[in-house]
Amino acid sequence: MPVLTATDAPALLRKGGSARVDADIPARFAPGDRVVVRNLNPRGHTRAPRYVRCKAGVIDRDHGVFIFPDTHAHGQGKNPQHVYSVRFSARDVWGDEAAPRDALYVDLWDDYLAPA
Amino acid sequence: MNGVHDLGGMDGHGPIAYEVDEPVFHAEWERRVFAMTIAMGFYGAWNIDSSRHARERTPAAEYLSSSYYEIWLGGLERLLDESGLLPRAETEARIAALRAQAG
Repeated sequence: MPVLTATDAPALLRKGGSARVDADIPARFAPGDRVVVRNLNPRGHTRAPRYVRCKAGVIDRDHGVFIFPDTHAHGQGKNPQHVYSVRFSARDVWGDEAAPRDALYVDLWDDYLAPA
Repeated sequence: MNGVHDLGGMDGHGPIAYEVDEPVFHAEWERRVFAMTIAMGFYGAWNIDSSRHARERTPAAEYLSSSYYEIWLGGLERLLDESGLLPRAETEARIAALRAQAG
């Protein structure tokens, strides 16, 4: 069984643990695509915040391929897929009292999104 | 899960207390909880996502009245119990013994 020693700890902490996966998996969306966050309410783990569910946004950039936390948290595999930075207008998320030029960017996995 | 950890957009939690030159840890026990969590994670009985989920599963009222590292400690205890590495009864017995020792 792996043991982390005090000697190894500093190097490990500096390196960190990346969830990036080196796999050639096709992206479903490209920058500029309009998407909507699916109305997901899983009983288990998810990284899709409630405040963006059912909201429409635009793919800003593709970060690449990463482990999918929703399955990985439950021993159901890494299910690697693209993660995108999705741009939402603040008014679409928080209503008319939000500043008209404000926006928020949320990193979202492919499975959270549907074409808008 | 639609838990209380998903705080974005919720009101009623009061102002954020900013600290100048905020230390990474505010007490020695926080440093130890962080170290234990990282060391036990390295053991490989769970992963970072199941570790996050263990913290999310803190009961709602307890979550909102706990500090950041109290939630981390509770999450670690939950993972140790569920993985069978350290059953909760043993943790509770140890707490009771140390409490008795401290008087």
